Amino acid sequence: MSTETQKSAHALAAQPGQKGIDPRSPRFGAGITAVLLLVVVALGLSVPIGATVGQRVLEPGFILFALITLLFAWGAFAGVQRHPYGRIFRALIRPRLAPPTDLEDPIPPTFAQGVGFVITLVGVALHLIGVPYALVIAAGAAFVAAFLNSVFAYCLGCQIYLVLLRLGLLRRSSVAAG
Amino acid sequence: MNPEAVALALVALVALATVVGIVLRATAGRVRRATDGTVIRARELPGVRGLGRGATLLQFSTEVCAPCTTTRRVLGGVAEAVSGVTHVDLDVTHRPDLASKFHIMSTPTTLILDRRGVVRARIGGAPRTADLRAELDRILAAA
Repeated sequence: MSTETQKSAHALAAQPGQKGIDPRSPRFGAGITAVLLLVVVALGLSVPIGATVGQRVLEPGFILFALITLLFAWGAFAGVQRHPYGRIFRALIRPRLAPPTDLEDPIPPTFAQGVGFVITLVGVALHLIGVPYALVIAAGAAFVAAFLNSVFAYCLGCQIYLVLLRLGLLRRSSVAAG
Repeated sequence: MNPEAVALALVALVALATVVGIVLRATAGRVRRATDGTVIRARELPGVRGLGRGATLLQFSTEVCAPCTTTRRVLGGVAEAVSGVTHVDLDVTHRPDLASKFHIMSTPTTLILDRRGVVRARIGGAPRTADLRAELDRILAAA
């Protein structure tokens, strides 16, 4: 019969000038993130946690993890289009690929970056106050999300969006602005 | 931890993530039949004038949802192809109360309503056209 939609989206193929991002770009970025998080897990398991805050800050696993946290913040607050991995993808990877068949809305991957930021920030804080294995657990959880995003194109962070909205824990304007 | 144990832990973590991914891929889009007899009326849905004569594909979407676009395309296509079937897309980003009312935990979720508005099936994730058509045929035949 007919389709009643509040937002019509009938475009099947990517048109030049159409809004949206190449869906392979966030998946490429998530792949880099997943590999780096795996390195953090390995370092966290290999090196015992430092006795003082000064020692814990200088641990290589922590430094890498803090860097990943900053990159999540970049994606979440500046938007995935401005993320460094997106620039690498556009400069080096995309010219070697066929044009995308679909373009994707940047809002879901931007929100997922925010979820990644919160998870890694909790790991950073717990590690700094000296909680053993906080780094490994936070990096492991973020790895699963990044791996699913990269390999299976599954946005784990996006799944909790509606639950957070229902609980009133999220201002939708903060996401819509991303 | 010694290097062998660390390597083993990394392999286990990748294996776990792979299993989770395979399970998620297998369950996404699966049609689950509903038997609790919940009835949804058109007036409960903002901007909807009436339900389909045969069946209604009621999609719940949000702004943070990549597979919602695919779902829109699949449901829209089926509604075009099957006489008496209407597709309704409800964006609950600004109406989380509706998501709570209809017990929607994530998007996209599709409810298949029969001509009386009884919820007959529920699909989480982007539906597969063949499975959806089969379920619709069953519901339309029973009506």
